[in-house]
Amino acid sequence: MHTRSAILLAVALSLPGSAGVAQMSRATLVKQSDIIFIGTVTQVGAVAVPEVPASPRTVVVRVDQVLEKPSAVALATGDSVTVETGRPGSLKAGTQATFYTTGWIFGRGVAVREVGHEPGRSPVVAADERDAVARARREVNDADLKTHIQRAAMVVAGRVEQVRPAELARAPARPKRISEHDPDWQEAIIQVEDGIKGAQAGERVVVRFPGSPDVAWVGTPKFAVGQEGTFLLHKDSTTGSPLTMIAGRSVPAYTALHKVDVLSKQDATRVRALIRKP
Amino acid sequence: MRARVIAVGAALCVACKASEREVPKPPAKVAGARVVDLIPVSLSGETWQDAEPFLALYASNPRLMAASAFTPNPGGSARATAPIFVSDDGGDSWTLRNTVPSQAMTADITHAVGGNPPMLYAGILKVPDFPLNELKANDFFSPATMTLQGFRADIDQPFVRTTAVGNADRVYVGLNDFDAPDGRTATVDVSLDGGTTYAPRRIETRNTAGQNGPSIRPVVAQDHTVYVAYFGWRSNAGADVTSDVVVVRDDSGATGTTPFRDLVDPSDHLPGRLVATHVTIPWSNAPTLGQERIGSTLSIAVDALHSDSVYLAWADRVGTGDIYTVHVRRSTDRGATWSGDLRTLTNATDASLAVSTNGTVGLLYQQVTGSAGASRWVTRLEQSRDGFATHQDVVLATVPATTPPFQFLPYIGDYNGLITRGNQFLGIFSANNTPDSANFPQGVVYQRRVDFPTHRLLDGSGTPVAVSIDPFFFSVPVLP
Repeated sequence: MHTRSAILLAVALSLPGSAGVAQMSRATLVKQSDIIFIGTVTQVGAVAVPEVPASPRTVVVRVDQVLEKPSAVALATGDSVTVETGRPGSLKAGTQATFYTTGWIFGRGVAVREVGHEPGRSPVVAADERDAVARARREVNDADLKTHIQRAAMVVAGRVEQVRPAELARAPARPKRISEHDPDWQEAIIQVEDGIKGAQAGERVVVRFPGSPDVAWVGTPKFAVGQEGTFLLHKDSTTGSPLTMIAGRSVPAYTALHKVDVLSKQDATRVRALIRKP
Repeated sequence: MRARVIAVGAALCVACKASEREVPKPPAKVAGARVVDLIPVSLSGETWQDAEPFLALYASNPRLMAASAFTPNPGGSARATAPIFVSDDGGDSWTLRNTVPSQAMTADITHAVGGNPPMLYAGILKVPDFPLNELKANDFFSPATMTLQGFRADIDQPFVRTTAVGNADRVYVGLNDFDAPDGRTATVDVSLDGGTTYAPRRIETRNTAGQNGPSIRPVVAQDHTVYVAYFGWRSNAGADVTSDVVVVRDDSGATGTTPFRDLVDPSDHLPGRLVATHVTIPWSNAPTLGQERIGSTLSIAVDALHSDSVYLAWADRVGTGDIYTVHVRRSTDRGATWSGDLRTLTNATDASLAVSTNGTVGLLYQQVTGSAGASRWVTRLEQSRDGFATHQDVVLATVPATTPPFQFLPYIGDYNGLITRGNQFLGIFSANNTPDSANFPQGVVYQRRVDFPTHRLLDGSGTPVAVSIDPFFFSVPVLP
């Protein structure tokens, strides 16, 4: 299936009308997209709902199958979507294609901006495309995670044994400010059970994280005593205080501020595989 | 009109000074009132906590509006833009457009509309790293990303107001500037050229506890008088801050080199009238009042046609069993003297004031009633033509305060929005979005897919969706 899809994609991307996409791999298309669907162009230079401005670049596409979308977005087979294409005239009425897009305007209908499209081939394309997009998404996620692993100073599997308020060294000229966006830095002490990168089993490392419930920190991983996981740790360059204390010793402090920095314990196997992967 | 409730308050109850002693009345429906959930049908699966809403409208076209909340870009956290909502039909329907240059969402956003054409000015804390960005859109219906006009770090709660003077918009961004000298952080960024340049104007002239409170609220009258309200934090002990409530004024649009010096306090002859002194501000960045944090509720409104008349609302802790109490006062002499409390609302927050062209004042607030699992967030708009001797009370929403559980803070917002145009008060608030008519006494219109008989939200495929916090637009006719 993998080889067949790759061939199909290579052929598709070489077709006239997909010039804007020809330089992009499917993984690149997927990486840049959040709404992906197979659809058929029904109108050119038109829009599906009045709140979207019509232009020579807009086309109306009937959705044949949704391949990926955010859960919040209401989009289903049979819906008409306004697509702002990369360039005027790149799509003709009746063309069926897989559309890689990002959300643009959400109202009575969905309007999207085209990242790229792949012309369709036959009725079997839908299943192939679903598999291919899913595979590409996994590749994108793996590549993203591998990048994070490479950037991390330390990757460990372990357990949070203590959480404490962080005591940060502060520049004397800069008084503490009271703000609802204050991160309220905390420190999680992690007992390393598996040193995957830059650490050894049995070590204890200190990870700083914002304890604040404020909206500014809503997507940032939090830690709790007893929490187990696989952690991608970065030397603390955020708080302005790169060192901390543990058992009376001064040690580097780490952070894990991105959502992929905190994975499940079972993800250690995947992380090791990605490290080994060339 | 099926019914109208005029709560007579103190006028009919000699013994009653405080509103909380009024006998509760069932919410009544007011003719012409509208409540609209902003989430569009194409985002029916949305379950985010769309808190801290704000509203802007175009002065000469009642159909054009912009709104915001802590609503994320539906595309996910990696997207380079955050959304605003826009309406071109007077608030009956709304669309969401990703035009704000902030990664998926902002950490604060307010905005206001300038003159003709309808420029939209926004002040945001940008994600990531949360610098202030002062933004502008020549056409807020354009799908183009808003353009950056000013930026700097260490800012909190930008609050934007505008006025048109000739061909140039004046923009006033109240903000707490942590880099201001001597801990006098209350600041207004003033632009006299449509946002092309901004000058930070420090408005605190007294010593502080190291900083001012985060809410710095400007308001502009048609004669270019600018008032600004702020909290003069004087000391803090633990979670309680001792603060003055201060109003400054500039009589010429803050066009001078030392603006906001036109109102002095008789006690020390310094700029900034001390409307209340040594109040206790409970600073809590934790769920404290109906899952909401508290500590920065402050609003000021001026009669746009008669700038002598100013209303002020703030919240503090009175200390008689309350968690957080809203006070409303009035000045009829340009801030020189102030009334006592015209309204005292226990366990309330998010007070927003506006004064209509006929002098009627509107007060929007959200109040927790009941206790524990039975507690409710009740959103009300009060109107008064006589300085709250009497008022009309309109319940816009009464929803469970314990559900949904908070995803982050603020739960419903550190502020909401109330403005007025012509014979309407227009506003926005956030609340539990359960589609239950009993929760919305004025009625409610959902754009998103709902099933009223079963009180369920539905996604695009008809699958039930969890209850969340949504922004609601409303309009209520001004008392004639």
